[in-house]
Amino acid sequence: MPAQAGTPLIGTFRLAAGDCSGATPTGTYFRMIDPGGTIATGKYFANPDSTCADKSITVEQPGTDGGLVTGSFQPDPATPFDAFGNSLSGRILVARSFTAIKFGISTNPSDPQTHQKVTAPTITLQGNSLSGQITAWSAAWNKLYFNQGSPKPDGSRPGLTSPVIGTYDASTHAFVLTWASEVVGGPFNGFTGFWHLQGTFVAAG
Amino acid sequence: MASDTAVHDRATRTSPHESSSRVGALLFVTALVGLGLVTAPFAFQMFSRAPKGATMIADFKPFMTNQRLDGFQHDIAEIDGAVTQIDRARPPAAASNATYQEFDRQWPAINADMTNLLDTVQRNVGNYRAVAALPDFRLFPWFFVVPGVLIAGAAGVALRRPRSRSRSRRRLRVVLVALGVGLVLAPLVFDMFARAPKGGHMMTAFKDLETTQKVQRVQGYFSAMAAGQGAIRLDIEAALQRSGTDLPAVAALDRDWVHILNDMTPMIGAMSDNVGNYRAVAAMPPFPMFPWFFVIPGVLVAGSALLIRVPRNNATRRQGVS
Repeated sequence: MPAQAGTPLIGTFRLAAGDCSGATPTGTYFRMIDPGGTIATGKYFANPDSTCADKSITVEQPGTDGGLVTGSFQPDPATPFDAFGNSLSGRILVARSFTAIKFGISTNPSDPQTHQKVTAPTITLQGNSLSGQITAWSAAWNKLYFNQGSPKPDGSRPGLTSPVIGTYDASTHAFVLTWASEVVGGPFNGFTGFWHLQGTFVAAG
Repeated sequence: MASDTAVHDRATRTSPHESSSRVGALLFVTALVGLGLVTAPFAFQMFSRAPKGATMIADFKPFMTNQRLDGFQHDIAEIDGAVTQIDRARPPAAASNATYQEFDRQWPAINADMTNLLDTVQRNVGNYRAVAALPDFRLFPWFFVVPGVLIAGAAGVALRRPRSRSRSRRRLRVVLVALGVGLVLAPLVFDMFARAPKGGHMMTAFKDLETTQKVQRVQGYFSAMAAGQGAIRLDIEAALQRSGTDLPAVAALDRDWVHILNDMTPMIGAMSDNVGNYRAVAAMPPFPMFPWFFVIPGVLVAGSALLIRVPRNNATRRQGVS
């Protein structure tokens, strides 16, 4: 069925692996901005485990589900961490090393950091523009959780938190989704995660 | 006997009007003290601030032990050991690594500041324990409101019944004396005269630690340490191994880095999460004053109650009993 204006896209946003070999990173990647910085110019947190020359970019690979599923949750496993604090979440993205400990991404009905009930991700297509909410987007690292959704579980958009926006090509189903989410609370309070998801949408059913 | 009673009456008793006025004044003062106790928590916003203090005390608990703080000191010392060893050995891999060189440049200041921070926290372990041994902060507003309501209530009822009988007046006096003495004893029972000043010392010591600026600086240190250790872990140590250079402190840091992250990151989180809670506690009256917020009202209530004379009824007058 062809996509229409204001159409919810329910299915899997299959993610393309991140690539930082060129001047500008493509695919799926993450960047963390220091408190007081800006998304455009930084100052950025350098992840020494990044495989990119620009250590502020951490490229990602799709997880076992192929990427982000809208309309339902992709929760943390029953044992979310190993003994060293590495995240064992791997459905959306492959857990990547961040300063020597792996972080993983999940979406849960109850946000692990704030313990607030959240709704499953929703992305809506209007024309060739995407919008939506990924409030449930949660990062797990070092036996800690950081909500990286937009809007936040309480509906706010603190600091540099920006709405989920993107583009969609109806003929190829190619998409790009971006948003930023400030960490509220915990050791990374005030840092902001910028997320760039790219790939191909596959409708459910 | 009747004349002896009359003499006794004249010697020991004021006129009915004066007695009633005096009792009324004492009850009025007592009621005011009670109302003061009830309103104090609202004036000091204790119902919103005290729970934040409770949260802060609970959040700090895992870190306020000598064992844990010794561990943090060891973590910092381990990083310092690796940096010192690299600086002495001057391997080419370190000299050519811009990330490590930047970390090396920052490290002396980071080391000094983090060591000072940990020393300050560790000096206050005893003070923390004293504060943590007090009743739950969430209860503190009620320690004022409950006795205040009882005191104001008892005095208020008595004020509305100026001609109450001796038995009622006696009961009133007993209740007020008991409440007053209870207020005086409460700080002693909870050892507040010893513990509250220690809480004050801790709050003073943490004044420059529990700020947004300090937390952001420590977060910056974490970023620098992560970057520097990453350079050591991923580049320098590999080069050392290839060259057969043995730097045991570097190997130890590499081995223990994940544990250091596991250990210290939650501490930074607790610092960050309690900046607002610290401010709330600091906005309340200073800790050393709290015992007196009980003792002074207690003395006033008990003292006023003891000055309330119990009127004699006809039976006791006939028996010559005062």
